[in-house]
Amino acid sequence: MNLKDLMKDYFLDLDAAGKDPHQKIAWCTSAGPAEILRAFGFKVYFPENHGAMLGATRTCMDTIPTANAYGYSPDICSYLTCDIGAHLKGFTPLTRAYGIQAPPKPDVLVYNTNQCKEVMHWFEFYAREFKAPVFGIHSPNLLPEIADSHIDTVYRQFKALIAMLEGICNKKLDLDNLKKTVKLSWEASGLWSEVLSHLKHKPSPLNFFDTTVLMGPIVMLRGTEQAKEFYSFLNLAVQEMIASETSSIPNEKKRIYWDGMPVWGRLKFMAELFKKNHTCIVASTYCNSWIYKDHDAADPLLSMAKNYLDIFINRNDAFKEKYIFDTVKDFAADGVIFHDSKTCPHNTNSQFNMPNRLREKGLPSLVINGDLCDLRCFSDEQSTTAIEAFLETL
Amino acid sequence: MDVLIQKYFWGIDCGSSEIKVVVCDASGNIIDKRKQPTLFPLLDHVVRALKTDDDKPSPFDSSGSLKEGHIITASGYGRHHIDFASHKLTEIKAHFMGVKKHLGLKKPYTIIDIGGQDSKVITIKENNIHHFEINRKCAAGTGAFIEALAHRLKLKLNNLTTIAEKHDKEMTLNSFCTVFAEQEVIKILMSGEKVENLIHALYKSVVKRVLEMTAITTDTIVFSGGVIAYHTGLVNLFKEQLKDKEFFTVPETQYCGAYGAALYGIEENPCSPNE
Ligand code: SF4
Repeated sequence: MNLKDLMKDYFLDLDAAGKDPHQKIAWCTSAGPAEILRAFGFKVYFPENHGAMLGATRTCMDTIPTANAYGYSPDICSYLTCDIGAHLKGFTPLTRAYGIQAPPKPDVLVYNTNQCKEVMHWFEFYAREFKAPVFGIHSPNLLPEIADSHIDTVYRQFKALIAMLEGICNKKLDLDNLKKTVKLSWEASGLWSEVLSHLKHKPSPLNFFDTTVLMGPIVMLRGTEQAKEFYSFLNLAVQEMIASETSSIPNEKKRIYWDGMPVWGRLKFMAELFKKNHTCIVASTYCNSWIYKDHDAADPLLSMAKNYLDIFINRNDAFKEKYIFDTVKDFAADGVIFHDSKTCPHNTNSQFNMPNRLREKGLPSLVINGDLCDLRCFSDEQSTTAIEAFLETL
Repeated sequence: MDVLIQKYFWGIDCGSSEIKVVVCDASGNIIDKRKQPTLFPLLDHVVRALKTDDDKPSPFDSSGSLKEGHIITASGYGRHHIDFASHKLTEIKAHFMGVKKHLGLKKPYTIIDIGGQDSKVITIKENNIHHFEINRKCAAGTGAFIEALAHRLKLKLNNLTTIAEKHDKEMTLNSFCTVFAEQEVIKILMSGEKVENLIHALYKSVVKRVLEMTAITTDTIVFSGGVIAYHTGLVNLFKEQLKDKEFFTVPETQYCGAYGAALYGIEENPCSPNE
């Protein structure tokens, strides 16, 4: 199964749905309750993916200033600013990629603050723009552990969301549908997790720059048959790569853990930089973020409530530090590179001294400055020197 | 029997303001050194720095081809553009190698390398790079910051230390960003402040920014990099800030990176016993 075609079908289907008055569209955050929306039959669109597309195509550099001029600070999430700027300019990279004129208009917007509060401001902007209802799941944040009371808070909000969606769709939630989507989500994420675990192999068959692209379906199509099929296919393909000793990086010499967001606009540049230095990024916080191992069709809402609280970004520093340390060992990485992403402090873990704490535990760590989209915050030269000097020390 | 070929090891430190070149013999003895402003097209100026009109060694023959026995190693921001270099390494490792050879310190030490475009604080432990920090994206704490303000005040760069020595008052520049610092400087001068006090404050601000980059965890500090060569006044300010530390400055600080690059070339090309 071809990823390109899968994504194309997804966007064309969304576009068609947007033009069909009988089809409802929901906008959702990347770690939002997509399964509930799909169970109602919504077509689900993810603005963060749009932000990543704007970033990867570097068209964000035209749209971020538009949002800045409109009143959204250059210091806040550049997914938000580039996406809102694109909307204000009437621009979308979907046109060039798929001939789509604009993202589909939402009938409802659903966000979850388990990743950050920015999504609330972002979705509220669109709620005003489209005069559409918006629902926020306000999650307890940065948890040392997931207590029953936390799960209960989210569970009750899911119930309230369901009541609201029943009003919008004028039908009751079909529990079997929900169980089915939760099961599909769990299966796809299990397969994705297996794919990622194959990067433990030496030499690694894939690297971070492959997996940031391959993760598209687990974000945008989780809860569908297509996502499950894609990852079963991918899993087999990667196993074959391992059997034939296919190495993602020719002559792999060093292995790295990447923490934080990708620098979308410099993905190719970075991929080449690491390749040239015979270094494979074998594990990352980012790609591992969509593994919902505890989704349980037998108890869909409660298990979702737990899993969406349990995501890495929503855990406290002690948890994150241990997670990174253990994963580094598990993947036999030689060191950690932290991307200090200027406009996403939430997905940046270097700002509260974690690199020093890891160094003290004997784990070489480097911090590079940059941003997920805003290339004004990134320097090719400085990053190259820092990364190459770091690799020289390993 | 193998023919004995004299080997020359060339180190180029292609920095943002100057291209520095050092050539050594196989034992790391410096044969010659030279520099050239970083101008463009870059390669033409790198070649110009390697060639000389006099009888000093050059790695190129009259047709412009690389001569046998000449090994070139490139470092600095421009290293990736020097395609005829056999080896490339970052200026961080190059400075470390230069310092290591110059001083031969066995104890842990910290190299403070203030460059034209960035500054580095490199911690050396067990004779290896243990950790390093490069200043963030902005020019604060680098030569560029000093240059921008000197340019604005129409002062010659190599006069600044002498000017700063004449200060009679302690002042502080608060701004991190060069543009804001310029505004701050203008405001201070408008209020009638002496330029000597201002330059002293400018040096202090560079020292402060460098020390903010990372905690200095060793008892010994080594200065390297081009900026120290022009602004010796910075060294005294570091000494004032880092009391109880022991200080070294490598000879001809601006060539330390190029020298380290040449040494790296030697390390990568161990000579056979008959050479
Ligand atoms: S987690 Fe970061 S990148 Fe993602 S929406 Fe929030 S602020 Fe933006």
